[in-house]
Amino acid sequence: MSWYLAAASLFGALTAILLIGLPAAFSFFAINVVGAWHYLGGEAGLAQLVRNGVAAITNFSLTPIPFFVLMGEVLFHTGVAMKAIDAIERLIRQVPGRLAVVAVVAGTVFSAISGSTIATTALLGSLLLPEMLRRGYHPSMAMGPIMAIGGVDMLVPPSALAVLLGSLAGISISHLLIAGIVPGVLMAAIFVAYVVLRANADPALAPAFEQAPARGWSRWGPLLLYVTPLVLIFVVVIAAMVAGWATPTESAAVGAVATVVVAWAYRALTLSGLMKALLGTAAISGIILFIIVGATTFSQVLTFSGATDGLVTAVRTADFGPWGVLVGMLLILLALGCFIDQVSMMLLTLPFFMPLVQHYGYDPVWFGVLYLIAMQLGLLTPPFGMLLFTMKGVAPKQITMAQIFRAVTPYVLIGLVMLAAVMLFPGLAVWLPKSLLDR
Amino acid sequence: MPVRSAYHLLMQACGVLAAFVIGAVAVLVTGDVVARNVGLSSFPWVVEVSEYSLPLATFLAAPWLLYRNEHVRLDMLLGALPRTVARLLDALADLVGIAVSLVFVWYGVRVIADSRALGSMVFKTLVFPEWWLFVPVPVCFALLAVEFVRRMLGANGLAPSRQGMV
Repeated sequence: MSWYLAAASLFGALTAILLIGLPAAFSFFAINVVGAWHYLGGEAGLAQLVRNGVAAITNFSLTPIPFFVLMGEVLFHTGVAMKAIDAIERLIRQVPGRLAVVAVVAGTVFSAISGSTIATTALLGSLLLPEMLRRGYHPSMAMGPIMAIGGVDMLVPPSALAVLLGSLAGISISHLLIAGIVPGVLMAAIFVAYVVLRANADPALAPAFEQAPARGWSRWGPLLLYVTPLVLIFVVVIAAMVAGWATPTESAAVGAVATVVVAWAYRALTLSGLMKALLGTAAISGIILFIIVGATTFSQVLTFSGATDGLVTAVRTADFGPWGVLVGMLLILLALGCFIDQVSMMLLTLPFFMPLVQHYGYDPVWFGVLYLIAMQLGLLTPPFGMLLFTMKGVAPKQITMAQIFRAVTPYVLIGLVMLAAVMLFPGLAVWLPKSLLDR
Repeated sequence: MPVRSAYHLLMQACGVLAAFVIGAVAVLVTGDVVARNVGLSSFPWVVEVSEYSLPLATFLAAPWLLYRNEHVRLDMLLGALPRTVARLLDALADLVGIAVSLVFVWYGVRVIADSRALGSMVFKTLVFPEWWLFVPVPVCFALLAVEFVRRMLGANGLAPSRQGMV
């Protein structure tokens, strides 16, 4: 069978079973069962499928994932995150579009402590959205920043998805985690600037309202009390990794335990809160890792069917040039983000992308950051971006899908500009990890 | 009904155990880091235990997640189709799920038996029979097969699921 027939039937069958609603993990398993039987030698192939499944997740480079998720879940379920947001809200005053700015800043701080996109989005969506709408904020002013900043979580360490990308693509995980800082923070800063400019030009979008006066301790105290320790945890996790005191797994575990200790110090730690956080962590990491059970076999099936080699050779000989190929890969990610989750996206694309990255000699860390940004944008792109539907789920009933599209569009454009900027100026991504880690 | 509540308890126990494994390993790894840095001896087996804990927690969590309809899936098409067609496709998906799970149960057992027969051992800091690593596979997939059958019989049918976000 020629490679394109193999590729077409593998991907066609996968799309079909995904569409009938079989969970993504099982859809990959199903393709793997057929593929392993056909390409990896019948019964021996199916035994290999089981061994591969266990081996794929018995991997030290994946162990930071549950701990990064746990950090966010602990802060979320103990209520410490709410206190931090409240502290940031007290601090930011007299700014046009104040609550939208609070959403972006709080989202960035929370990203720096939580490894999961969904925790960040859920937290901000449930906490700040109703407040903004009640204060007469225009829906696009209220929803846009929340959706946009949820995606930034993927870039700002600790990021479970960056760990996963590094592990599956063979990119240095500490480099990739640190490389996300500058683009992530920069993107958040541009979001803030955009919110302020818009609210300034059209105050009706975000009506100002009277706030209780806060000066001195009542304004700065909560920041010192509730935000500084979180930022400290972030700094310690990153510093331990950079200084080589601890591996990413170890700093992640220490970070997770530190958040529990902080919650305890605030007297916010309850047994039921801790249990909820641990169960939430088991759920989110279980969802991610169970899909990864199929990763090794899926890439082997693609290789043995000739699909990987055929497609990669076809792209190389088609002579699109290194930039053409790079843009093509990013466009594929943007399109895929409309349909499938981030983990499945990595499983589908990395077997093809990484050989091309090697062939064209791209810096893998730079490529990894571009990959994360594209993946994040894919989740936001109308008409099917997953985050848009998540927002529809938590938004009040009268909000229409069209309003959500309009709300997110400017942030998607900003994201695209950021993507282009990192493409043209790789230093934005690679400078920080190089200067911190490669001394 | 006692069977139903026993099943519910079993699923809950899977989730709680997975959560406990993650929490325990976080504490263990932290303890190792602290011990090493204050000059006490380090425990090289902790790294290995944290590695093995991942498949354990994952295979424990999987049936619980399916029971709670939390595995990421695409329900865009199902939501757009007429209800009867959607139900039919959903049942078809469950059927594929059952078949896949049974393959993993069967070959999981075979891999365990083969590895035992060969006497394969894992030689790292911790030394133990290799087949121990594969035990969670058939157990997890057997539970998954049961859950898929339950779904096909109407439990959880077409309930909204987690959109593809993690």
